[in-house]
Amino acid sequence: MKQLSELIKGASSILDKLAAICIFSVMLLIVANIILRTVLSRPILGTYELVGFLTALGVALALAHCAFKDGHIAVSYIIDQFPYKIQSIITVFVHVVSLIFFAAVVWSLGNFGQAMKIKGLVSPSAEIPVYPFIYLIALGLLGLCLVLLFNCLVSIKEVLKNDTAKKVVR
Amino acid sequence: MSVFVIGLIGIAVFFALVIVRMPISYAMALVGFVGFSYLTSVPASLDMVAKEIYNTFTSYSLSVIAMFVWMGFLAYYSGIGTSLYVFAYKMVGHLPGGLAIATQVACAVFGAICGSNTATAATMAAIALPEMDKYKYDKSLSTASIAAGGVLGVMIPPSVIFILYGTSTEQSVGVLFMAGIIPGILLTLLNMGMIYLLTLRNPSLGPAGVKASWSERIHSLRGGLGEALAVFILSVGGLFAGWFTPTEAGAVGAGGVLVVSLLEKRLSWDKLKRSLADTTRTSAMIMLMLAGAVIFGRFMAVSRVPFELASWVGSLPLPPFAIMGMILFIYLILGCFIDALALILLTIPIFFPVVVDTLGYDPIWFGVVVVLVVAMGVITPPVGMNVYIIKGIAPEIPLETIFKGVWPFLGTIILLLVLLMVFPGIATFLPKVFAGV
Repeated sequence: MKQLSELIKGASSILDKLAAICIFSVMLLIVANIILRTVLSRPILGTYELVGFLTALGVALALAHCAFKDGHIAVSYIIDQFPYKIQSIITVFVHVVSLIFFAAVVWSLGNFGQAMKIKGLVSPSAEIPVYPFIYLIALGLLGLCLVLLFNCLVSIKEVLKNDTAKKVVR
Repeated sequence: MSVFVIGLIGIAVFFALVIVRMPISYAMALVGFVGFSYLTSVPASLDMVAKEIYNTFTSYSLSVIAMFVWMGFLAYYSGIGTSLYVFAYKMVGHLPGGLAIATQVACAVFGAICGSNTATAATMAAIALPEMDKYKYDKSLSTASIAAGGVLGVMIPPSVIFILYGTSTEQSVGVLFMAGIIPGILLTLLNMGMIYLLTLRNPSLGPAGVKASWSERIHSLRGGLGEALAVFILSVGGLFAGWFTPTEAGAVGAGGVLVVSLLEKRLSWDKLKRSLADTTRTSAMIMLMLAGAVIFGRFMAVSRVPFELASWVGSLPLPPFAIMGMILFIYLILGCFIDALALILLTIPIFFPVVVDTLGYDPIWFGVVVVLVVAMGVITPPVGMNVYIIKGIAPEIPLETIFKGVWPFLGTIILLLVLLMVFPGIATFLPKVFAGV
C-alpha cells in the first residue's frame, strides 16, 4: 500500500508541476500580449483562446494533487461526531460513489474529444484543434480517479481492520 | 412526481452528501448529473457534464481566478504582508490598541493585493500575534482582531468571491470590485473604531506602543512595499479605467508582484514554486466547484426550482425588505456551516432571480450585501475558517477565547449590513459615478 501511495503521489505531483507551468505561461502570455498590443500594436494571435486552453490544463492537471492533499472543500464536523466504524463505512461509500461518477465523466470527456476530433473543430482565431485539450482535461480527471481509487482502497482497508483509532482517511 | 419536487429532493440529497463529508464540488456535480439524467436521459446528462466541465475550465473570463489567486500567494510568500504590518504599526501603533488597529490597516491593504481572507488571516496571524504578545495584548482581542481583519480581504478588491458572484450572475467583475471599495474601507474604519473604543474602556486589553517619527514611517515604505502597492494600483486601476480585462488585470498584478519580489530579493526559487503549487491547488478546488455549480444549476433550471421559488416569493404578502431580510438570515445561518465560495455558487442561481427580478433589488448592491453576509461565516462558530487558521498558528490559545473576542467584530459587520440596507449608495455610488451602472 505504501508503494501505491508513493506512485499516486508521484504521478499527481508530476501533473501538478505541469499545471504550474501552464499557470505561469498564462501570465507570461497575457503580459506579453499587453506589451505587444500597446507598444507595437501587434497583439498575439489567439491569446484569448490560448489563455482558456492553458488555464484549463492548469486546473485539470492539478485536480489529482488537490484531492491527494485533501484540498477539495468538505464539511467534516458533523460526521466527526459519529463512531469511528460508521465514519469509515460512510467514507468508503463517498469514495466509491465519487469514483464511479468521475470515471463516467472521464469516459464522457473521451467521447466528447473523439467527436470533436472527427468533426475537426478548431478555435476561432488561431485555428488550434480543440480535441487535444479535451483529452488532456480527461487525463487530469483520470488522475483524480486514481487518487479516489487509492482513497477507496485505504478506506476499505480501514473498515476491515476494525481499528478504534480516531483518524479516518478522507 | 413533478419536476419541482424532484428538484427539492435533489437539494436535500446534496445536503445529505455534504453532511457525509463528500467534497462540495463533487456533491454539486453528482446531484446535478443524476437529477438531470432523471429529468432528461443518461446520455444527454453525460454529454452535458462533459461539455460544462470543458466550457468552465477553458473559460477566458474564469482564468482571472488563477491570476488573482497567484498574485495573493506571491504577496504572501514574498513577505509583503510583514512590510505592510510594520508600516501600519509605525502609523497608528501609538494609539490605545494600536497594534490591533494596525492589523486592520495591514489586513485592508493586504486584502487589496491578495483577495483571500484565509491568506490574509494566516499572514497577519504569523506577523501580528507575536508583536501583540510582546506588548501583553489581551488574547481575545489580538486573535479576534486578526480573524476579523481577514474579512476585509473579501470586501476589498480583488476578491475571488466577487469574481464568482460576477460570473454566476453575468455582472461585471470590474463594477463589483468598484462596489466593494467603500464598504471595505467603511468596515476597516468600523473595526478600527471598535478596537479603539474597547481599549479606551479597558486599556489593559491593548496597551499603546511607542510613537514613530515621520522619517521612520516613510522609511518603512521602502523595501518593495511602495512598488507592490504601485502594482496593485496599476492592476486594479487599469481594470477600472478599462485598459485591461479582469484576466489581464490579474496577470499584470501577478507579474508585477513577481517582478518586484524578485528585484527586491524577497522571493527564492523555493517560495516561487510553493506559490505556484498553492495556486494550482486553490484554482483546481475553485474551478471544480464552479463546474459542479454549473452542472447543479442546469439540473435546477430543468427542475424549475428557482422560477417556482421566485413566483412563490413574489406572491407573499410581505414587503420586499422583509423578504430580503429573510433571505439574508438564511445566508447568515448557512454561512455558519458552509464555505463562503461554495455557498455563493450553490445559492446564487436560486436566490438571484428572486432578489433581482422579483423583488427588484440592484444586482451589484445584492452582490456586496451577500458577500458581506457569507464573509461573516469565516469568523462565526462552528466552522469559522479564519478562527481555525489562527488556532493553527497559535495552538496554545483556546478556540473559545478567539470566538469570544469575535463578537464585537460581528457587531461591526452587522452595523455595516444595516447601513448598506438603509443607504444602498454605499455600494452603488462608485459604480454609478465611474461606470454609469
